[in-house]
Amino acid sequence: MSSPVLSLQNASLSLEGNAGPVRILDAISLDVHRQETVGLIGPSGSGKSSLLMLMGGLEQATGGTITALGHDLTTMTEDQLARLRRDHFGVVFQSFHLIPTMTALENVATPLELAGAPDAFARAEEELRTVGLETRMTHYPSQLSGGEQQRVALARAAAPRPDILLADEPTGNLDSTNGAAIVDLLFGLRERHNATLILVTHAPELAHRCDRVITLTDGRLSETEAAA
Amino acid sequence: MTTLRLAAKLAARELRGGLRGFRIFLGCVILGVAAIAAVGTVRESIATGLTQEGARLLGGDAEIELTYRFATDPERAWMEETATAVSEIADFRSMATVPDGPRGLTQVKAVDAAYPLVGEVTLDPPMPLAQALAGENGTPGLVMHPLLIDRLEIAPGDTVRLGTRDFRLMASLTSEPDNATAGFGLGPRTIVATDALEGSGLLEPGSLFSTKYRLDLPPGTPLPAVQADAEEALQDSGLRWRDARNGAPGVASFVQRLGAFLVLVGLSGLAVGGVGISAALRAYLAGKTQTIATLRTLGAGQSTIFLTYFLQVGALAALGLILGLALGVGAPVLLSPLIEAQLPVPAVFAAYPAPMIEAAIYSTLTILIFTLWPLARAKDVHAAALYRDALSRARALPSWPFVLATLALLALLLFAAASFSGNIELTLWTAGGILGALLILALAGLGIQTAARALRPAARGRPALGWALAAIGGPGSTAGPVVLSLGLGLSVLAAVGQIDQNLRGAIARDLPEQAPSFFFVDIQKDQIGPVLDRLKTDPDVSRIDQAPMLRGIISRINGQPAAEVAGDHWVIRGDRGITYADALPSRTTITGGDWWGEGYEGPPQVSFAAEEALEIGLQLGDEITVNILGRDITATLTSFREVDFSTAGMGFIMVMNQAALEAAPHTFIATVYADAEAEAAIFRDLSDDYPNITAIRVRDAIDQVSGLLAGLASATAWGAAATLLTGFLVLIGAAAADQRSRSYEAAILKTLGASRARILAGLTLRSALLGMAAGLVALFAGIAGGWAVSHYVMETGFEIAWGPAVLIVVGGAGISLLAGLAFALGPVSAKPARVLRAQD
Repeated sequence: MSSPVLSLQNASLSLEGNAGPVRILDAISLDVHRQETVGLIGPSGSGKSSLLMLMGGLEQATGGTITALGHDLTTMTEDQLARLRRDHFGVVFQSFHLIPTMTALENVATPLELAGAPDAFARAEEELRTVGLETRMTHYPSQLSGGEQQRVALARAAAPRPDILLADEPTGNLDSTNGAAIVDLLFGLRERHNATLILVTHAPELAHRCDRVITLTDGRLSETEAAA
Repeated sequence: MTTLRLAAKLAARELRGGLRGFRIFLGCVILGVAAIAAVGTVRESIATGLTQEGARLLGGDAEIELTYRFATDPERAWMEETATAVSEIADFRSMATVPDGPRGLTQVKAVDAAYPLVGEVTLDPPMPLAQALAGENGTPGLVMHPLLIDRLEIAPGDTVRLGTRDFRLMASLTSEPDNATAGFGLGPRTIVATDALEGSGLLEPGSLFSTKYRLDLPPGTPLPAVQADAEEALQDSGLRWRDARNGAPGVASFVQRLGAFLVLVGLSGLAVGGVGISAALRAYLAGKTQTIATLRTLGAGQSTIFLTYFLQVGALAALGLILGLALGVGAPVLLSPLIEAQLPVPAVFAAYPAPMIEAAIYSTLTILIFTLWPLARAKDVHAAALYRDALSRARALPSWPFVLATLALLALLLFAAASFSGNIELTLWTAGGILGALLILALAGLGIQTAARALRPAARGRPALGWALAAIGGPGSTAGPVVLSLGLGLSVLAAVGQIDQNLRGAIARDLPEQAPSFFFVDIQKDQIGPVLDRLKTDPDVSRIDQAPMLRGIISRINGQPAAEVAGDHWVIRGDRGITYADALPSRTTITGGDWWGEGYEGPPQVSFAAEEALEIGLQLGDEITVNILGRDITATLTSFREVDFSTAGMGFIMVMNQAALEAAPHTFIATVYADAEAEAAIFRDLSDDYPNITAIRVRDAIDQVSGLLAGLASATAWGAAATLLTGFLVLIGAAAADQRSRSYEAAILKTLGASRARILAGLTLRSALLGMAAGLVALFAGIAGGWAVSHYVMETGFEIAWGPAVLIVVGGAGISLLAGLAFALGPVSAKPARVLRAQD
């Protein structure tokens, strides 16, 4: 088997709370391989989203090591992490997190502009067409429905053709119809770009669309199973 | 009553949470109140100083001023009889020369032994004035202002010549008690004994001088009664009366007018503060939507909600008012030693109620105007806001009672401003200017948003610029508040800069082409021929104008006291130069009526300056009575002439026919147009040959006027700076309110791979671009204002002064950048995961 694109060794995360430090993640060790799809499930507060943030370098681990595409995330500066995300990661959030002052097209083009792509807007238009939003390109997020906003977020995550796609409860704020459509789009985009996908969800049936399902309980990896 | 009590309880509970969310609100109130209270306190302090020190400023309990002559024996007798002591002063311009050395223009005060009746002249080295004026070794003494001593390069003990007489400089003049009444003088002061001027060739019949008789009255003498007595006893003498009730009327009225103007400029600061107050209250109420909706769910009525927040605003406004008054009154009082040192007039610094009441009224009305609408919107929040954003869907305009109340408050504010300033026209212009500027700036804010959206495609491939334009043009843009808060202060500064530069430009560029090099005054009849000969033979002299010169006061128009007909027009306020002519002088244009024929010897006729005649309302055939040397001459107005004062050349308001005036003692005035290189030689030759002739270098006079105008510009600029400071505070408030969304954007951008430097560049560009845009809008407004003032008020040409223009735009960008950067570091350094989670 090839070397993992993502590797966590005893990774832990503690945050300062009002009543002292709170241990969020505890000694997580995990390897994710190229083009693999991994579903992360667990009850609320189990640390799923925090683990995803650690994988994307959006949160700094307080213990252990995290390696992504050969880079040790725990020793990198914030700007080095940003460059790594720009070149290799795509992130989708439950709350979409689109830039409210930018149109759909501008939101999708932004990571491409950051990477210096000369055809940023042409590629952004193409991605928006892929997610079925060719008529909504000049709309601001506030002018789009929740499902449309999440499709823009998907297009934005996929536009730079990332090696790793991180999705944090992408259907959490959507109704079932929109949720199903978004999941189909997510897996379709992963397929199209041959990306590795880590999907955080509280829905076991959705997680089981992945190659592997990992269960987190109280900040610890409790179970790993291959999907059916 | 129950509603009010309930609202008061609810308001008190909410205020228990502290002033969080109200800091900018408070800051704006405090600054606005403080600026107006400070100007009012300084103005009141000076006014009190002038009143309390009236007698000292005047140099006596009362003063009778005569033009061009000394008092006659009967006049003097009346003074001696009325007063316990009388002091006679003659005031005139002359040339002070050092034998074989430099020479300079001086304003001479020739005094008698009784001077000063009140106060004390201080000299350096210290000595009594009488001793200084007595001189030494048979040479009479004089004292001079240090500036003149420096100019003449002399020291105590040296010899100085006035006219044809030598004097010994005994000391430098440190202070004279009655200096504030001296008015506008072209030269530094010299004090000399009147007796010592005998035989000097100065104070000859026809010379330009005025005499002032200071009267020391018995204690308790009613001043109005003495004035009436004087005007009756000395009827037709052309006297001007002043007394200790208003020792320095010119200064008092100048301070009053400047103070009124600066308070109106301060109102623009309050208007900007109002914008900040309104924005802060809107932001606070937006955060309270859930609370209001909950209260509505629990059964609170609209009036309870309105009163709850109205009382909170009232409590905070009262706190701001008290702190603002403390700052506005306390700062001038605490800094009074420094301010007094800069003031040429006395001031009594204290906490005066009048300016405090004025500032409180202005502020209360402004706060009400700017808070009524947000409060009205808060009362319209429905319980449904608990599950949807109802506040943002509320109608833009409040219900009509609130619109009417706002209009009524605006009218009240205008009425208050007009009453306090005492100048309805100035108030209306200022109010119109502020409202117009606010409207233009609001529209400009929208325009900038549109322009930013239109430019967005051009920034493709330049992410930092693209984000900046997206933030300026996109939803939730802060372009409106930034342009409003910065624009007004910058507009006033830009206008002041343009007017100031254009005026200086007009003086520096245009005048030398048209203005004479010198005015020579006090040329005696027997001197005018040789003087003209000297000048006509000089190849460097291009033009000489000369005319007989008398001075007189217009005392009556058609038999009525002139002030009743012409009001406070400047032409009748003091004595004016009058000339006579037989034939129509060259370069003279008659605009109405007919010039008397050459050799006319009939009843006196007068030709009047057309523009001033129109302002006063004079018509052909009117009878104008002019008091010249104590004698009334009544002439029929038979023609109007075009007189252009802007060229600084010779211009007489009145010309009479030759027969009417030629017998009166008079001198001549000449203007000389010469090359700059020849000026020194002409000046030296004429002052050597004719020591009694006074030469006034036009450039020196213009420099002095420029200095006065620069002082006015500087005072206005300080007023505008206070507005700008309030604007900066509003900007800080806007930046603080926007910080959360900036942090959010920065977190998303970091997730997408943006470095901190790039994010910082984007935030910096956003602030700088907005500031520059505000500066550009202000620049256009300032140029328009500057043009209007130059064109209509100053009547000078107008050219855009690019130096101050660039400074305004750069300044705008700088201020906005400063406020933006202060709140940029937080978003740049925030951890993206935490910011994004907080949004979930």
